[in-house]
Amino acid sequence: MASAQELSDFLSSVEQRAFKQAVYAVRDDDAALDIVQDAMIKLAEKYGDRPEAELPLVFTRILQNRIHDWFRRQKVRNAWVTLFSNMGKKSDERDDFDPLESLSAPDESEIHQDGAQKLEQSQLLQSLESEISKLPVRQREAFLMRYWDELSITETAKAMNCSEGSVKTHCSRATQTLAKALKLKGITL
Amino acid sequence: MKDLDKQLTDAQADLFGRTSATLLRQGAQNLPANIKDRLHAARMKALSVRKPEKVLMQKPVFAGSRASWTSGPNSLWDTVGWLAPVVVLIFGLIGITQWQNDSRINDIAEVDAALLTDDVPPDAYADSGFMAFLKNGPLSDSTDSAADSSLSK
Repeated sequence: MASAQELSDFLSSVEQRAFKQAVYAVRDDDAALDIVQDAMIKLAEKYGDRPEAELPLVFTRILQNRIHDWFRRQKVRNAWVTLFSNMGKKSDERDDFDPLESLSAPDESEIHQDGAQKLEQSQLLQSLESEISKLPVRQREAFLMRYWDELSITETAKAMNCSEGSVKTHCSRATQTLAKALKLKGITL
Repeated sequence: MKDLDKQLTDAQADLFGRTSATLLRQGAQNLPANIKDRLHAARMKALSVRKPEKVLMQKPVFAGSRASWTSGPNSLWDTVGWLAPVVVLIFGLIGITQWQNDSRINDIAEVDAALLTDDVPPDAYADSGFMAFLKNGPLSDSTDSAADSSLSK
């Protein structure tokens, strides 16, 4: 059974990773922090008496469930927001508004700089994180659990509630997609 | 373009995954201070609602008993703890069944005794005519007249 100190150490070791994983999924720092806090509280409240060795898998499952819950809530909220915004839409609004017009083009010097010098580690990380965020949910989960959380295929399958074959497929697809996307940007890991 | 379409082998994919994870771990270390603070606060909040540890009950130790009886997860007291109520329950059920049987036999015996010691033979009660006779027959009239005469005397 994990003692209070062991639980604290465990949470301390996973909190930053959990936050980043939540950010990749929801792309919002505040929402990600809420998700991580909920997952931590659920772990401590319901599974705080579990052996220390079980905590990583349990926490991963809780975190993934919290992320899925967040998406479910967002879906419901967006449905209501769309409904009400359509009702209150003014007739004099510009129909020909193109969001692309409002985007500013990158500075030419930036492009030159990007092409000229090697990518620094932070830029590399940014590219990697951006590509990870674009991955389909299941592929991202499998990839992060396998390589970042260092869970075995069996544990990942358990956490994702799917077969080991599916985990291998998701992981392989995620890796191929990421490698290809980074290669397109001129990055090879 | 051909180079882009080339698929990674399993070993290359695995290496790519591990290298990516190393990069991601490094990135996670450099979170802004405000995020770290909020994560710390979240951790403290979680620890404050932690499920309390189960307190192990001190089990009685009898003189002369072996230490292994009272120690370890499957000690004798653990076994006795669940076995005793089961035994009591089984004996209780057997007792209740026995008592119900006895009570039923006693009831039947009482009815039998009443029938056998009665003046009228038991077969008479099975006869519908006899029941009608009891209700309306001359026996009731003669009993009434006998009672009347005894009163007049």
